[in-house]
Amino acid sequence: MADETAAQAAQPRDSKREAVAFFIGVAGWIVPGLGHALLKMWGRAVMCFLTVGLLVILGTGMRGNVFSSSGNDAFDTLGFLADLGTGTFYLAARSLESNGADVSHAGGDYGTRFLATAGVLNLLAALHAYEAARGRKA
Amino acid sequence: MNLGMGFKLSHWQSLLLFAVLISIAFGFLSRRRPMDRVKYIVWSLFLFLLIGVGIGWAMYPFSH
Repeated sequence: MADETAAQAAQPRDSKREAVAFFIGVAGWIVPGLGHALLKMWGRAVMCFLTVGLLVILGTGMRGNVFSSSGNDAFDTLGFLADLGTGTFYLAARSLESNGADVSHAGGDYGTRFLATAGVLNLLAALHAYEAARGRKA
Repeated sequence: MNLGMGFKLSHWQSLLLFAVLISIAFGFLSRRRPMDRVKYIVWSLFLFLLIGVGIGWAMYPFSH
C-alpha cells in the first residue's frame, strides 16, 4: 500500500523531469553546448560550442556544400538533415557560404563532411545532455 | 592556407584537423575525469590517423 502511494507521488515528478530533460535536449540542439550549460557541465558546454563552431567555420571556409531543403535526391535530404543538426549554426553556415559550394576540389568535399559531422556531433551532444538531465550516468 | 577565398588545406591537414576536433569532442563527452579524457583523446587521435593513413595506402594500388 505504501509502495503504491509512493509510486503515484513519483509519477508527476518523473513526468516533470522528463519534460525538463526534453527541453534541455532541444536547447542543446538549437544552440550547441546550451544543453550542457543548463546542467552546469561547463567543460562539455564550451567544448560542444567550440567544436561544432569550428567545424562549421572550416566546412564553409573549405567551400563545402551546405544542403538546403530543396534537395534533388535522398542523399541531399540526408545531407540537409545532418547539416540541420547544427541548429542555429546552420543559419550561420548559410550566411558564411558567400562564394557558394565548390566540391570539384577535394577541399570542398572535405568541407561537406566537416559540416555534416558538425551536425551529427551536435545531435549526439544534445542526446547526451538529454540523458544526463534524465539522471542517467554521464 | 588562403583565408581570402576560403581555406585551402591538403588531405593530410584536413584529416589531422578533423581527427583532432572529433577526438577532443568524444573525449569530453565520454569521459569525466581530466586524465581519462586526455588518455581517450590521445588514443582516439592515434587510431583516427592510423586508420585514415591505412585506408589511404590500401587505396593506393587502385589509383595506378
